[in-house]
Amino acid sequence: MATGEEGNEGVPANLRKQLAVAVRSIQWSYAIFWSLSATKQGVLRWGDGYYNGDIKTRKTVQAVELKPDKIGLQRSEQLRDLYESLLEGETDAQNKRPSAALSPEDLTDEEWYYLVCMSFVFNPGEGLPGRALADGETIWLCNAQYADSKVFSRSLLAKSASIQTVVCFPYLGGVIELGVTELVPEDPSLLQHIKVSLLDFSKPICSEKSASIQRNGEADEEPMCAKVDCDIVDELVLENLYSPAQEIKFDPENIRELRESIPKELDMDSLDECSNGCEHNYQTEDSFMVDGMNGGASQVQSWHFVDDDFSYGVQGSINSSDCISEAIVNQDKHKSSPERENAKKAHLEELQECNHSKLSSLDLGADDITNYRRTISAVLRNSDQLPETRCICSCGCKSSFVRWRMVEAHKPRAHQETLKKILFKVPLMHRGQALKSEQENGAKSLLGDVDFCAGHILSTKKKEHEKFLVLRSMIPSIEEIDKASILDDTILYLRELEARVEELESGMDSTDFEGKVTRKKLPDMIEQTSDNCKKRWINKRKASDIDETDAELDRNAQGDGLQSDVKVNVKEQEVLIEMKCPYREYLLLDILEAVNNLHLDTHSIQSSTLDGVLTLTLKSKFRGAALSPAGMIRQVLRKITWKY
Amino acid sequence: MENSTQESHHLRSENSVTHESPYPLYAMAVSSSPSRHHNHRIALGSFLEEYTNRVDVVSFDPDSLSIKTHPGLSFDHPYPPTKLMFHPPSSNPSKSDLLASSGDYLRLWEVRENSIESVAVLNNSKTSEFCAPLTSFDWNEIEPKRIGTCSIDTTCTIWDIEKNAVETQLIAHDKEVYDIAWGEARVFASVSADGSVRIFDLRDKEHSTIIYESPQPDTPLLRLAWNKQDLRYMATILMDSNKVVILDIRSPALPVAELERHRASVNAIAWAPHTCRHICSAGDDSQALIWELPTVAGPNGIDPMSMYSAGSEINQLQWCAAQPDWIAISFSNKMQLLKV
Repeated sequence: MATGEEGNEGVPANLRKQLAVAVRSIQWSYAIFWSLSATKQGVLRWGDGYYNGDIKTRKTVQAVELKPDKIGLQRSEQLRDLYESLLEGETDAQNKRPSAALSPEDLTDEEWYYLVCMSFVFNPGEGLPGRALADGETIWLCNAQYADSKVFSRSLLAKSASIQTVVCFPYLGGVIELGVTELVPEDPSLLQHIKVSLLDFSKPICSEKSASIQRNGEADEEPMCAKVDCDIVDELVLENLYSPAQEIKFDPENIRELRESIPKELDMDSLDECSNGCEHNYQTEDSFMVDGMNGGASQVQSWHFVDDDFSYGVQGSINSSDCISEAIVNQDKHKSSPERENAKKAHLEELQECNHSKLSSLDLGADDITNYRRTISAVLRNSDQLPETRCICSCGCKSSFVRWRMVEAHKPRAHQETLKKILFKVPLMHRGQALKSEQENGAKSLLGDVDFCAGHILSTKKKEHEKFLVLRSMIPSIEEIDKASILDDTILYLRELEARVEELESGMDSTDFEGKVTRKKLPDMIEQTSDNCKKRWINKRKASDIDETDAELDRNAQGDGLQSDVKVNVKEQEVLIEMKCPYREYLLLDILEAVNNLHLDTHSIQSSTLDGVLTLTLKSKFRGAALSPAGMIRQVLRKITWKY
Repeated sequence: MENSTQESHHLRSENSVTHESPYPLYAMAVSSSPSRHHNHRIALGSFLEEYTNRVDVVSFDPDSLSIKTHPGLSFDHPYPPTKLMFHPPSSNPSKSDLLASSGDYLRLWEVRENSIESVAVLNNSKTSEFCAPLTSFDWNEIEPKRIGTCSIDTTCTIWDIEKNAVETQLIAHDKEVYDIAWGEARVFASVSADGSVRIFDLRDKEHSTIIYESPQPDTPLLRLAWNKQDLRYMATILMDSNKVVILDIRSPALPVAELERHRASVNAIAWAPHTCRHICSAGDDSQALIWELPTVAGPNGIDPMSMYSAGSEINQLQWCAAQPDWIAISFSNKMQLLKV
């Protein structure tokens, strides 16, 4: 209990503890006692307070094992120390800030609110406490964050801390103020409860609690008991006053079971019915688990992953910065590979600054974070509070599972064979089947087997050789007979022709321009097909703008009667597509979409529109292991050219 | 579990039931609600690398520890079904048992007393040509009219099965999408060959959030499981990896834990349906491991709680909410129900 507080002569002894009991029993966020200033008549200033809200950073300065109620007291004291050190820092800018246990970055919004309250001074009749004292009546303010600043001068502060309900009532020459982050409608019984709890405790509460703890005989239970203790104490002293306490039947049996089966939770749900709901549930579970594991000392450094805004958005239900995440990360650090470790460390360090939600590794913009926050709050809000979980103990029947121990298990040669087949091969079987049924037009396949590619190759091998000869005859510069060189020469010849065509095109200004523009646009469209719907649509729109201008400039007759010509050349992973077809709107787009759907990554396109006829040369590569046969590609493209 | 220290061999008859099928099995589904007329039904999909495959529905009697086959409850399926799933538990128990299967299309079947009738074939390709085969799907438990499917054309399609129409289709990833899982009525997550886990919200279709990316770029993530008891956590498995990665949706990018005790690659994962911290995984090392996620991990990583060794590589794992005491696994052509 801090004794060295200046100007607090009007504060009764042990007030902080009384405030602690009062606020913890109703699980509100803070309790402040505004005392009358000795120096100025009628002016209210900070007397004492107890903070019972969300905590962001828990740092232990001493190695002593602390009970949670004491943690709360210590926290309040730390906040006071911080305030005082900040004050000193302001007045004496030369000195470095004296080392307080906490630093501003460690505080949640609520804690900030509490801290800033310490600086407030109220003239008679001014502000909520002032009016309460002047009128001699209780004031219950709901929706404090929206209150007029004349009524409640700290309303903006309250908004940032999401304090929604504030209650002030005169007490012992000063004013007691209680606040909570939830909207609690006016409840006279609650007030009664608080007043009684304040009055009835003349002796320090700690000993009471420790006595009851001793009763259980298990030091490790403290954290758990502390929470429940509030209720014992309440049950003993205050009967029938306020609902949440009643639901708890403090049961030593429960505690013992809990020790055995850690995942199991007490009826914390009923405890947390009102007020802070999940928030406290998680928090206590948090502390219980951690302390249980670590033998009582709250030595684990648990810090928030993301900044305060995050918790603000989700009403504190995310507040249990679960030790799972951080502690495990801590422990698992050594396991990960060096780079990853450094990345992790750096990551954690950044988090420790708590300056910004460090999702930068994913390059999330502020917008994304807000959206994601909304999503998470939707998911977690609708999920029930942690249900009373049963242990996985089987009752009666013996289990098939035995206790785990490291054994040399049989190592197969193939990895995830079935799973991979189901994901990689089976879907392609369907595609082959679809194509085959198209091709055959009713003729039933005798073989149940799919391997369309194989079948195709077999039937055309004979014709291939003939075709090579035809090709050789077409190209003037070919001398060799072997296939490889024929193809090489063909490629060279085609390139020559393309270059010539380009030259010819460049002679005609307008066409060239459009051709160039479309060419440039295409890679963008390709890249963006992997984005989500909307972006795709936007690109479609842009492309169509270009297409329209294209059509305008090329007012030549659309060659309706022209045959469309599609040539597809598949060589291992490379696919060369050459098309010549009557031009129409969105044609290029459809072609590219189809090509993409066929698992081809286009890396080069040359297109030109002349007299309403689109000539397109497209070079692409198969994306993955899936190879589509040339026939299939040709089919697809033909169909597209026929569509109108 | 903690109590049983005996070897499982001589107790096999008491704590596990085996069903041998004429063909290798992959897809498996356990019915969520037994009706008065029949015991728990289990649908088994065959895995034959040919066109004709079959799905059989057997029934499991936990009291007599027996599995009965029904010759009438069986149907043909083109190519192996990639996933089977029964209708989630509904408030209306007298409704007929619906079974959904994915393969080339999403198909709905009504499982009656002695026969199975096809209810719908959901095909969303505009041309009849190139349907995008489905790799997996998930039935939304909060909104049972919603089924989300994922396919190799990088899209996820959300179906409204009451109207038999597409609710929406999203391009979810850059590469093939391998698995999808619902978290809430309008929020789902998916994994893909591009190595990322993304969360989508149907209220805001333009944004998705990557909450994890595989450490080696482009290592496909093959399966995803969202903890229905504690929606903060998800689990995923990578290709050719013996790790089960546990993610916290509130902290993207950093996995909460990596469970690395399998001796070979992991094939399937399933969260416990009745507790919030247990997960079961099965892999090519023929082992099924049950893990309990602690709040604080030891320095050497997390050890499993218990294990079971099967006869060969375990391909499939189902832990159904209607039967929280039994885990169903399938390996080669056997299906086993193991008592937890």
